[in-house]
This record gives sequence, structure tokens and C-alpha cells, in this order.
Amino acid sequence: MKLRNEEIGLFLEISDDLLRTIRESGLLHYPKEFGGILIGNYSTDKKIVNVIDTLLPTSYKSSKFSFERGSEGLKEQLETLFNGAPSLIYVGEWHTHPDAQPLPSGTDIMGLTGIAKHRDVNITSPILLIVGLTPASMELGFYVYFKDKIYRYETY
Amino acid sequence: MATDKNKHLNDVLTSHKVSKEQDLLDKHKRKRDEICDALVEKYGADIYSPFNSGSFAKNTAVNKKFDFDLMAPFKRNAFSTLENMFNDVYDFLLEKYSSSAHVRKQKVSIGIEFFADDKGDIVKIDVVPGRELNQDQYKEDDKLNLYVYSQFGKLQSGSDYIRSNIKAQVQNIKDNADRANLRQKVRLLKVWKLYNNKTPKSFFLELITIKAFDKLEISGGLWDRLKSVIEYIRDNVTTVSLPDPGNSNNEVADSMSDYEKSALSDDMRNMINRIEENSDYIKIYFPLNDKFPVEDTSNNKYDERKVAPSIPPPTRFG
Repeated sequence: MKLRNEEIGLFLEISDDLLRTIRESGLLHYPKEFGGILIGNYSTDKKIVNVIDTLLPTSYKSSKFSFERGSEGLKEQLETLFNGAPSLIYVGEWHTHPDAQPLPSGTDIMGLTGIAKHRDVNITSPILLIVGLTPASMELGFYVYFKDKIYRYETY
Repeated sequence: MATDKNKHLNDVLTSHKVSKEQDLLDKHKRKRDEICDALVEKYGADIYSPFNSGSFAKNTAVNKKFDFDLMAPFKRNAFSTLENMFNDVYDFLLEKYSSSAHVRKQKVSIGIEFFADDKGDIVKIDVVPGRELNQDQYKEDDKLNLYVYSQFGKLQSGSDYIRSNIKAQVQNIKDNADRANLRQKVRLLKVWKLYNNKTPKSFFLELITIKAFDKLEISGGLWDRLKSVIEYIRDNVTTVSLPDPGNSNNEVADSMSDYEKSALSDDMRNMINRIEENSDYIKIYFPLNDKFPVEDTSNNKYDERKVAPSIPPPTRFG
């Protein structure tokens, strides 16, 4: 799947296989929210983020209306991926909205902003995938934090 | 130098994004919620939950001119006639808002246009009253009857009503949205309509765009895809059938007269001829919104503060 935000001229690519994996992980926890982090890399000109994989949290809290991702074990996994070939990095987050639209809540916006500004996060524009999930369907909303604002990607 | 038609159309879409009018959008949302609460308080058990039914629900809105449509679904036994329903809701809204808005009866809705605020912003909400077909049936089928207050295409004022399923209408465009980004074409046709003072209803443009996608292989760049839709309208608007997805007995094509359809076909023909003749014409038919010039994005990129692994903190989402 290829997406872009025309306003800021940035692109995102993600495979259908990874989206299937995310959906299946979300359904295992349905009707509670669930999520994880997104792993990938940037194109040489840094215009495209390629989302390649997800890491699922080993520590989290979730309910029908919230999901709190822990960070237990993440540092070691992310350092290993960074030192691998090809080098993969943290590019953002995903979580589900069971039986709801994939629109960011105030908590989502605060969460993504907090990540973008955190001292241990070196990327300036983390992405956020929200998965509107029912047992029968999946609706996707891809967002990016860019220069203090949140933008939504669209397919093209 | 010739205009890059694809880039220009992308810029048109960008400059007309509703998110650029966030303040105005928020004002609309607040007023909509206020009206929603007022209707529920006034009508209590006689009304189901009001819901968005217009371009915002369908994600086809553009920022040059927008209003919110709020569907107010009533129970069958709440009113003896559809006319009573329409008038009662009008009287209630007039009483509540006459000091802060113009309230008027429209074709099937009651328009509330609030007076400009200190920033000159005007909030417009159309309330569409509808009544379920039989008591408690709405929960099963989502169907509603709307009162036709003034002539609506071939429907006569007062004597006719429209039976439809508004949720199915909204779902229809959502279901078709991923087809070569169909909603982009709908937004562009709305831009054309607004800046060129044309009359087709947005619902008509939505349905005929979906029909074009049904009938044609739509591919290529943005201009090629839009051109395919324009050509389809040019060649078929006078004869096409556009059944309402909420009720196939409603013929949405009848919302335009034969003369209007013929004029629309001519408009489409002229537009394509002019743009193919001279690509600069695309800027006249599809202008940018001057209020929101498009920025140069060539220097934007996914930046990294330093080349090192990022370790995100524990984070809560909702």
C-alpha cells in the first residue's frame, strides 16, 4: 500500500502482509484495544518511510477505549535491529480502535507528540497507524507528526 | 510554460482541504453538538440519535464553502404527518435560534445560518427531519421518510415525500472510496461547481462519479482520471439512471431538469476542449483557494536528530 500527504510532500509504504499481521494481532485482543511499534527505514532522500515490520509489546494495559504500550525489552530489540543489515529503526506506532473509526483521539495526539519530542527518540516525524477494527472489517488511518502538527496520509 | 495538470489538481485538493479551516470546522462541530443535544432534550423518546449525513460524513467536503447536515430521525408515532414533523422542528429551531441565526425552510431540511461571529465566521447547519416508516422499524432498516417542503426536481412540494436510507447513502461512498481515490474526483467536481456557479447537487455529482467508475476503466494520472469522469458525464448525463443507494425507487437523476442536464453536458464538453487546447485553462475551471496557497514541499523530509536507535517511551493511546 502506498500513501502520501500532499500538503507536506511525504510518502509512506507498507506491505499488505504486514497489515494482515497487524489485523490478526488486533483481533486477538478484540474488543479491547491493542497495538505495537512500527519498524522500517527511510528512503535515501528521506521522502518515503518504508514500514517493514512490527514489534508487539510484552508489557501493556488495554481496555475497550485505551491502550498503554510499555517499553519492557524494547531497547534491546531496537538496538539489535539498528545494528543489523539492513539497519531498521523505530518509525512509529499502531493501535486499534475496536468498533470505531480510525480517527486520532486527543490522547492519541498527545501520545504521538510526546514521542516526537522525547529525548530518546531521534526521529522527528513518527507515524501513527490507527486501525478501526471489527471482526469483519478493517479501516486504516495513517498519520504523521510533522513540525508540530498531525497530518493524515491518503492512498494515491 | 504549460501547466502541469496533475500537479495543479493535487495543489487544488491540498488548498481546499477542510482541515485548513480547523477553527471554522470546530465551530461547526460545537454548534452541531448543541443542536443535537437540544433536539434530544426537546423530543426525548420520540427521536433516535441524530447523525451527520452530508459531505463531512462522506469525506467529500471542501473548505471554500461548507455546512453540516444533521439528520434527525423521528419515531413513527411522534407526528401524525410528515408535514407536522417538518413544521414542528422548524418552529422549535426558530424559537431557539431566531435571535442568533437565520432559520429557514429548505427543500427537505431546515437551514440554520448563524450570524457572523467576531472573526466574521458563519456557521451553517442543515437539520433534515425524517420519520421512520413504522413504529420501531428504523432500528431494523435505517429507513426514513423526508418531507418535501418545496419543489425538488420532479417531486412536488407538500404532496410528495422522499423515502430513503441516509446511512446507506453515506456508506455507499465509503464503500467506493478506495477506487482510484474516487473522493478526490468528487471534491474536484465540487470545486468546479463552486467557482463556476454551477447547479448540480453534490449528491448527483457523487453518484454519477461512482457510475463512471462502474462503467469505465479509470486509470492514469489525476488529470486522466478526472477527465474520464468528465467525459462520462458529458456523454451520459442526459440519459443516465442514478438510483438512490438508500432507496432504488428514488431516481436522483430526476433532481435535474432535462435542460439542466443538457447544459451540464455542454459544460463538460467545453471544459475538456479548453483544457486540452491550453493547459492553463485548468486553473480557471479548478482554481486554488487563494486563502491557502500551496507551500513548496521539496525540502520536507523525515528527519533524524542523530543516527542512533530511537527508544520510544511507554505511551498511552485512546
